[in-house]
Order: sequence, then structure tokens, then C-alpha cells
Amino acid sequence: MSTLAPRRTRRRPRAALWALLVPFVVMFALFFIAPIIYALVQSMFATKSSGLGLGRPETVFVFFDNYARALSDPAFVESLGRLLLFSAIEVPLMVITALGLALLLDSGRAWGGRFFRVLYFAPYGVPGVVATLLWGFLYIPATSPVLQMLEGVGIHINPLSGDNVLFAIANIALWGFAGYNMIILMSALDAIPSELYEAARIDGASAWSIIWNIKLPLVRPSVILVTVFTLIGTLQLFVEPLVLRPLTTAISSTFTPNLAAYNQAFAQGNPNLAAAMAVIVALLGFAFSFGFLSLVNRKGNRAW
Amino acid sequence: MSIFPSARRTRLLSALALGAVGALALSACSGGSTDGGGGTAENPTEITFQSWVPNIDQAVDAFNEAHDDIHVTLETITAGPDGGYAKMLSAVQAGNPADVAQIGYDSIPDFLVNDALEDITEYVGDSADTFVPWQWETGVFGDQVYAVPQASGPLGQFYRKDIFDSLGLAYPTTWDEYYEAAKVIRASDPNRYIAAFAFNQAPWMIGLAQQGGANWFGTDGDAWVVDIDGDATLSVAEFWQKMIDEDLVKIEADFSSEWNADIQNGNIVTWISGSWADAILRGTAPDTAGSWAVGAMPQWVAGENVSATWAGGSASVVLKGSKNPEAAAEFALWLNSDPTSVDILTSVGAGWPAIADTSVVPSLQDDPEVFAFYGGQDIWDVFAESDAAVDTSWKWPPLSSTLFASLTDNVKAAVDAGTPLVDAYRKTQTDVVTALEERGITVK
Repeated sequence: MSTLAPRRTRRRPRAALWALLVPFVVMFALFFIAPIIYALVQSMFATKSSGLGLGRPETVFVFFDNYARALSDPAFVESLGRLLLFSAIEVPLMVITALGLALLLDSGRAWGGRFFRVLYFAPYGVPGVVATLLWGFLYIPATSPVLQMLEGVGIHINPLSGDNVLFAIANIALWGFAGYNMIILMSALDAIPSELYEAARIDGASAWSIIWNIKLPLVRPSVILVTVFTLIGTLQLFVEPLVLRPLTTAISSTFTPNLAAYNQAFAQGNPNLAAAMAVIVALLGFAFSFGFLSLVNRKGNRAW
Repeated sequence: MSIFPSARRTRLLSALALGAVGALALSACSGGSTDGGGGTAENPTEITFQSWVPNIDQAVDAFNEAHDDIHVTLETITAGPDGGYAKMLSAVQAGNPADVAQIGYDSIPDFLVNDALEDITEYVGDSADTFVPWQWETGVFGDQVYAVPQASGPLGQFYRKDIFDSLGLAYPTTWDEYYEAAKVIRASDPNRYIAAFAFNQAPWMIGLAQQGGANWFGTDGDAWVVDIDGDATLSVAEFWQKMIDEDLVKIEADFSSEWNADIQNGNIVTWISGSWADAILRGTAPDTAGSWAVGAMPQWVAGENVSATWAGGSASVVLKGSKNPEAAAEFALWLNSDPTSVDILTSVGAGWPAIADTSVVPSLQDDPEVFAFYGGQDIWDVFAESDAAVDTSWKWPPLSSTLFASLTDNVKAAVDAGTPLVDAYRKTQTDVVTALEERGITVK
């Protein structure tokens, strides 16, 4: 009896452990790890033909050839550069906007805080494709009341021209996600104990110095989270250019690396090259997010 | 693909599908097939058919009604270049393809290069005479038959006859007249253009080049000869350069919402397109019924009659790995040659029938609904003539999809940056040759 009891208690948590873990591990392995491995394997093969190319092709192992081919393709390299430029525009814009809105609604002085919180968040509920279609209509002079109005007073703007298109896309992403990020930051602001504000006010701190010395340092982890999410999101840029592509000459089939990979896989029948491109984007994403995290988490790096 | 140019809706669907690359392989498993051998009325042979032509289910139903030993299930898929082809090819790779699939003439070599087509010579080989020779030949490589042609897209020019008449313009029969007409039309209204320059539409640009006498691909022994930047093409490019430079064409993607609006409100008054475009015009701009007419392609040399196609046409193929290639081939042949079926296909807008004797197709003889939209004109006369005037020596190489992507990308970039169009064609030449060679294909 006495020997059974401890064994049973030891066994039960282990069974529970497995019962809880297995569904996750199986799904994770099947739908996350396995596709990654499959993509890695695929990226090292290529189909080759000969002569007129009308006979049976063969699949050959080419090691890193597809990577070399992707990185030596000027259009793909250009798309990587465009993506970095887009991130440089979008990430600061997003973080500052979301933080600004959160601080504004958190100040307690803003009128209709609840209403605006829902209003700013609402676009997040609109699927990306639909949002881009809506903005697409607003970006075309023939269908946009805004552009027609501006035209009426002599201002000619083409949001989808080569010079403006990145900002046009950044605007769609900002519209869609700023509210969501604002909610994350607001919940962090809500968690700050009110005694801190009281103490600060007793010490004579102004609203600005409360923001600078209390709010910002305390929501720092959430700001970092929002930055990393936005960074990863921008590196995945795909839906907006895909949907806007028919509307402008400024978006090619290789506008972003993801679009280039999609184009290779689904339009040009070269899944191997597409896999290599996808792996490159993934590595870039890893490098940037971990690079950013290690940068902000270095000891003594508490500049703000 | 040629017959149905990228509909944006389908492109969105394929965008959504991208997130689930793995799901492709899974969904491919749904194409069920029974074991080979002849079916009976009690136990018919089941085959599946993948197509993106709207309302083609009417033809499939007609087949099922007329046959009790074979039963066909239609799977409607995304248009070929928007993901349909990728789905077919991955299903072939997974060993679970549909039995019969719709593919463009331009894509047949693409499928061959991926070893995705079943040799159907023994089932349909003696039906060559049923079809127009050049269309039949698009599916023949060496002595093997790989495809049954369905329909082509001979080019014609749809135009707003009422607007031409009100401006006192005669129909332009040459490109010079076209240019002069464009100037009159442009001057008549600040928003009005003779046509859209469809930078997104490779088949349209290829058709214009072909009509200008270009022949981009030929074979010399065991090597391809690629001539995308030959004199004929470049002079066509220079003509459109002039149209763009003088602001006589509107730079705008066809089938875009902006284009739809312009077609509806008469800001764009002509459209060079395939015969199937009639169904699209009637659907896009029903309010303009009676105002349109169709004319033959403007000519480079007055008095000639040279036409071209919208990237060929569309065919039915039996995918490699089909468990019932015989039944599949029988369906493919019936679908594209039986008068009942061809009549249905023609009326749903599949294109100009590939069968040699179109007199058996009732809807081509008289179609009051269609003709009324064009002010009573028998528009099929125009396309019958156009079809006969197509340069049928055009051959498609493997990797036509790369050609399409490269051509539209380069033309877009040229239009966007204001660089010469001829350079876009030269760059496309380099891109396509590089892609073919990287694939191991010989180019001379």
C-alpha cells in the first residue's frame, strides 16, 4: 500500500503532462517543423530539362544553387532593399502612432475615451485583403472622392506612383494595425499602479514628465513587443502589394520577397526557387528580431 | 492561360491560399478516381475535371446525361496563372491529380516540361481532322498527342460605334488611321481615350506583336530560337511608345475597377481582345447595350488581313497519373467536339471553337441576345475571318509563365520610369533566355 501511493502520484502528473503536451507537440511538429524542413529540403533541389525541354525532366540536388540564384537576381535583391526601406518607414511610424494614441486615451483628459478606443481598434477587424481593396478604391482618381476633391482645388496626387507607393502601403498597414498595437500599450499603461502618479504629482511632476519618467519606462517591454511584432509583420509584406498590383505600374511581380516567392511558386512553377526565397526572408526575420531584442536588452541599455 | 485573363477575385483567393501551402497537397487528394477499366451503367467510371471557365458545368451535365458508363465531376479551380496550374502540378507530384484539366495552349509545354501530361495518342489520335489544324498541333509533340484543343481567342477590336459616329470617325482599318482616330477621340473629352494600355496583360502585348509580324519562338533542331526583341516587335513597341508619349492611351490595367468604370462610362472607347471578350463586355457594361460594334484588327499595311490570338487558346489535357486515361480522353474529346457541348462552351464564353466545322454550332449562326448588344451586328463573322487570318506558326516554349511575368514586369517598369518600351522587350528577351538556360533547355 505504502509503496503504491507514491508511485501513483508520480505517474499521474507524467500522464497528465503527456496528455497536455502531445496534441501541441504533434500539431507543432506536423504543421510548423515539418513544413520548414520540407521547405529547406525543397530549396536544395531543382528540376532540369534538356534540349527543347519537352521530354521528361529530372530532379537534381543542387545544394545552395537556388539561394545563389535568388541572391544574384537583381529584382530579388531590389525587393529585399525595398522591404528594408519599408520597415524603416513603417516600424517607427507604427510604434509612435500607437504609443501616441495610447498615451492620449490614457491621459484621462481625452473626451470620449471609450468610444475612440473602439474606433481606433475597429480597422483591425477588417481583413487585410478587404482593407487593401477599400484603400485601393481611395487611391485611384477614377473612384476616389478624396482625390477628386483635391483635383478640384488643383492638387494632383497619385498615391500609387512609384515614389508614393511605399507610403500608400504603409498607410494601409498603419490604419489596420495601429489600433491593435494601441490596445497592447494601453493595457500596459493600465497596469501602472496609480500610487506612482500620486507620488509624482506630490513631487510636482508635470504631465509631460510623468509620461517621460514613469509611463514610458514602465511600458518599455510592451513597446519592444509592439516593435518586434511590427518588424516581423513588415518583413512579411505581401497582401497589400498583391492586391494593389493591378492598379499601378509601380508594383512588379517581385515587389517584395514574399511576392517574388509566391510568384515563383504559384505562377512560374518553380517551387524550389520559391522555397529558397522564403528561407531567406525567414532568416532575415530572425536576424532582425533577435538583433533588435539583443540590442534593447543589453545590460545598462536603459537610455530611456 | 489565355481565355480568361486574371480575374482579381481569383487572385485574392489564391492569395488566401498561400498561407496554406500544405493544404494544397491535402486538397489535391480530393480528386477521387476509381480503378481503371470500362464503367457500366450501374457502376460508371468516375472521373474529375478541373476548369475555371464559368458555367462550364452546363457542358459537364450534358456529358453526364449522354453517358451512363462515365460520370464526370467538375472541380472549379482558380484560373491557371493565378494558382490553378500550381494546384494541378502539385497534385500530379502527389500522385492524386484530377483526370482532365483545362490549360492554355501556352502552358502545354510548361506542363510537358514538368512531366505532367498523359500521352493520349491511342485514344484521340485519329480525331485530328475534327479540329482546326494549328490548334490541334498545339497539343502534338513529336508523334504524341497530349491535348485536345477547346477554343482560341482570335483578336478583334470592340469599339463604341456611337462615339465614333458622333465624332464623324470612320472605323480605323490601319494603325495609322488608329493613331489619327486616337487624336480626335482624345481631343473630344479630357477624360476620353481610344484605349487602355494594359501593362498587366502579357497575352494582349504578345497578340499585338504577333499581329505585327513577330514570331517569338521557333525551333532549330534541338534548340529554341527566341526572338522577343526582333524588328517586328520593336516597331510595334515604338508605335505604342508614341501613343503613350502623346497621351493618347490611358495607362491602366484591364479588368481593374478603374478600367471597368471607364468601359461603362465611355472614357475608353475601344478594346482589342479575343472573341470571348463579348461576354465580358456584356457583363461589365450592360447599360451600353446597342452602342458597341466589332471590327477587324487595324493593319500595318493597308489592305492586308493579318490577325493574331490572345495567347493562343485553351485545351483539355489528361493529367499524368490519371487512373482512367481512356475515359478521361473520351470526355476531353466529347467536351470539345460534340456539337451540343461546343454550343454550350461558345455561349458561356469559352472562346472561338477549335473544331474545323463551326457551322454545326447553333449559337454562332444566330444569337439575338449577343447581336443586339452590338447593334444587330453578326460579330461572329468578324471573328471567323480573324481566326482564318491568324499566323498559325506561333509556337510556345516551356516557361511561358516566366515570359508573361517578365514581360509585364518590364513593361510596367518602363511605363513607370518613362524608359523606352523597346528596352522592356530587350530585357524580356534576356530574362527568358536566361530562365530557359537555367532550366537546362538549349537556346540558340
